Parts: sequence; C-alpha cells; structure tokens
Amino acid sequence: MSSRYNVGDRVTIREQFSIFYTRTQAYTRGRTGTVVQQFESGLIPEDEAYGNEDGRVEPFYKVRFRQVDLWPEYSFPDDTLETEFSESWLLPAREDT
Amino acid sequence: MSADHDHDHTPITASEEVSEFEILEVALRELAIEHGLFSAEDHRRFKEWAESREPAGGSRLVAKAWVDPDFKARLLSDATAACPEVGIDWNQPTGEGTPSDYTFFHVLENTPEVHNVIVCTLCSCYPRPVLGMSPEWYRTPNYRRRIVRWPREVLAEFGLSISPGTEIRVHDSNQKSRFMVMPMRPEGTEGWTEEQLAAIVTRDTMIGVALPDPDWTAAAAPSGAG
Repeated sequence: MSSRYNVGDRVTIREQFSIFYTRTQAYTRGRTGTVVQQFESGLIPEDEAYGNEDGRVEPFYKVRFRQVDLWPEYSFPDDTLETEFSESWLLPAREDT
Repeated sequence: MSADHDHDHTPITASEEVSEFEILEVALRELAIEHGLFSAEDHRRFKEWAESREPAGGSRLVAKAWVDPDFKARLLSDATAACPEVGIDWNQPTGEGTPSDYTFFHVLENTPEVHNVIVCTLCSCYPRPVLGMSPEWYRTPNYRRRIVRWPREVLAEFGLSISPGTEIRVHDSNQKSRFMVMPMRPEGTEGWTEEQLAAIVTRDTMIGVALPDPDWTAAAAPSGAG
C-alpha cells in the first residue's frame, strides 16, 4: 500500500469518535504535528484487537508534536512528543496558525 | 479468645484482589490446554524464558555502540537487525517474536540537544527482548499519565534534572514499534572496556529516567544517603 504522507508533512489527527477499540490517544486528536518516520503497512489495531486478520491494512507513521500544541499549560517551547498512527487517523494539516 | 491471649488473631487474608483480566487469562489458558493448543509445560517454559530476559541485553547494545561507530550506525538504522550481534534475537521464541511483542525495534540516541524518554500511555509496551520485564512503576497510571504531560517534573522526581535548553522528547509507544534510549557516554569512562561500560548502562538509563554515572552500577548496593 503506498503512503499518502511523507516525512516532513504536517498532519492533523482526526477528531474521530472510537466506539470499540483504538490505539489513538484522545490527547492527540485534533492536534497537528509533523511526520518524522514512515513504517511499513500493517493491520490496523481497530481490526487486530478483534482478531480480524483480514481487516484493513494501512501504512503507519510516527508524528512529532510540540508539547505546547498538546497541553495548554506547557511552558517549555522546545519539548516534543512522538507517537504513531495508522494512515486513516491523519488528515493534511488544517493549518497552522 | 482466652483471657491471657487478648490480641486479635485476625487471619491474614490475601491482600491482592484478582482482577477480571487475570480470571480471563486463567480461563483462556485452561481452555487452550484442554484443547491441546499448548501444554501446561509449554506455558511454564515460555513464562520462565520471558521472565529471564534482562536489561543486560540493552546494556550490551549501548556499550558496543559507544566503542564501535560502525555498530552504532547499524543499531540506529535497523536496531532489530543489529541485535543478534550482541546475542539477542527478536524472533525468539516463535520465529516471529513473542506472542505479545512486535519486532519493530528502534533505538533513540540521546544528544546534548535531545533527551529521550519512553512510555506507553495505553498499556505497558516495552522492549522486553532487550530490557526484560518492565519495572512496576513503568506500568502504573501515575507514570503513564504524567510523563507525557509533565516530563520535566516527573524526571525530577527520579532525581534527573534536564537543562531547559535541552529538548525533552517523550516517545509514547502506542503501536507496533518498541523503543529504547541510548544514553550519552559519560565523561570519566575513557579507555573502559565494553564490559565496564555495559555495567553503568542501567535499566533506567535506557528508559530515559536516569543518566549513566561512572560511579554507579545497578549490581553494586547503593551506599548510604551520606
């Protein structure tokens, strides 16, 4: 499966509701960061959690956020946090004010 | 109670409640054994093997990288593939890793500009083939919730103060990758052997809540507070 995003792309995490299972943390949803690494495609956790081996396969990405973009009270502007997402959780950055 | 024996002999009861997940695990395991998927002996052997992994594996990776720039480059570009050079095979024991661990392993290099620290906010993902079982505190909601949001404060609670000019980079290993921190080689270790170096690369330095200290190995008993 070809990857929609490249290293350096700005992406916004979908504010998608998750009814059953996800590994996309609530604290990242709606936040914008930068793709820093691409990983090979794999079964998405929403299917994998139920043993659905024929479920959706997507590329995975590591995204770096500035901590000040995650937590309103954060006071060290250079600090960052990285975590991973399957592709369907990402949108082109709704920029960037 | 007799008159000359007036303290209360309340029986000592089990203090730990069994969680629903533990009951579920036992039920599933017993079913799997009944159905012949694996034996009780297989299960015991797997647990014994898994629980005998230890942080010494990660220590050897770091020490070798400190003395061998070519190995360091291989470790940083494909850590899973570099591990067999120090005797660690991420594909054990099934041929494709443990049943609960993925084999996508990445080493995070600390530099004067960036200090890395790892966590799994969703559960307790941990690079077990190189670090063994995670410490109890690593799995607590307290660490998992707070290190992502207040990393400087939490590191200070571990006794680690990071300069405001150094970027702290928290890695929340929420998916299929597993991470380990490669700390910087401290001053005062010039000319040391790999073995000497490995001894100061303790578990906590590879989680990112401590820095290696030439005067400290986890094998030595801590000296008094003075």
